[in-house]
Amino acid sequence: MKAVFLLLFCFWTLPLWADEAMDQQVREIAHQLRCPTCQAMSVKESEAGLASNMKVKIREMLQEGKSEEEILKFFVDRYGEWILRNPPKKGVNLILWTAPFGLVLFAGLGVVVYLRRKSAGNAVQPALKPLNAQEKAEIEKDLNQIT
Amino acid sequence: MNKQLLYLGGAVSLGLLALFFYGLFFASDPQEIPSALIGTQAQDFTTTTFAGETLTLSQFRGKPVVLNFWASWCVACRQEARLMEAYHQRYTPQGAVFIGIAINDEREASLGFIRRYGKTYLLAPDDATGNISLNYGVTAVPETFFINEQGKITHKVLGAITEADLDKFLSSRFGT
Repeated sequence: MKAVFLLLFCFWTLPLWADEAMDQQVREIAHQLRCPTCQAMSVKESEAGLASNMKVKIREMLQEGKSEEEILKFFVDRYGEWILRNPPKKGVNLILWTAPFGLVLFAGLGVVVYLRRKSAGNAVQPALKPLNAQEKAEIEKDLNQIT
Repeated sequence: MNKQLLYLGGAVSLGLLALFFYGLFFASDPQEIPSALIGTQAQDFTTTTFAGETLTLSQFRGKPVVLNFWASWCVACRQEARLMEAYHQRYTPQGAVFIGIAINDEREASLGFIRRYGKTYLLAPDDATGNISLNYGVTAVPETFFINEQGKITHKVLGAITEADLDKFLSSRFGT
């Protein structure tokens, strides 16, 4: 009897789990898209009319069996890559992705070069003053005494 | 070597600075999203007008089409409402087509707007999902797409349409 109840419970709640999974997928895809109306927000966060339409469209496409890539492509085809919050790492976009790291690297190199130069400048070499004739003679005399 | 590195760094920094100022003062409005659809075939659609007629975009192939997305709650749509109607009155008899698609709007509010501004051209609501506006990559209202006789989108205008915008598309075809 318990098994029957458990089975019935699973049967009844299955659509709820499926809905929750679908909601999660919609949120994940919507999070990757920029809201066209309020551009600082993602479609997921925005409550603008167009963003709401986009969320409905995402759900419809998921229900039709479309993959995440196909759904993102649908929006890119109509709005351009601008609609993606993370531009793809290819072509000119590579500059966007690598420039910050390049700048940090370059700044680091600059600091190293600067510090090296500074430390080289600080280590003042004493001027070499040659021995005069009298000093040379004294040393010679002392050396002769030792030997 | 160190000196060369410094020169390179200086050049890169100057380049980035130049880009920054270009973006700040000379680049196009960052609010205006470039459409991926300019120069492409306009997506066909079928809808039912507020007057109850079936409207299919492709039935107007061979005619220049002004496709305007609007909403009754949109202030800029009020600004352009009478201008659109005036140009429709002037150019539709000569062969142009004016279509207005209401998006994210209540039917009654749309009808009230139509009555208030005396709009008589082809006016229809978008579907419940907003498929027509999504297919045109609409970013806000009002947004107007200009479709040539071959069914290609030549350009679009975001914000209230002006006489200059409409003249640019229609005067060359029909004269003023």
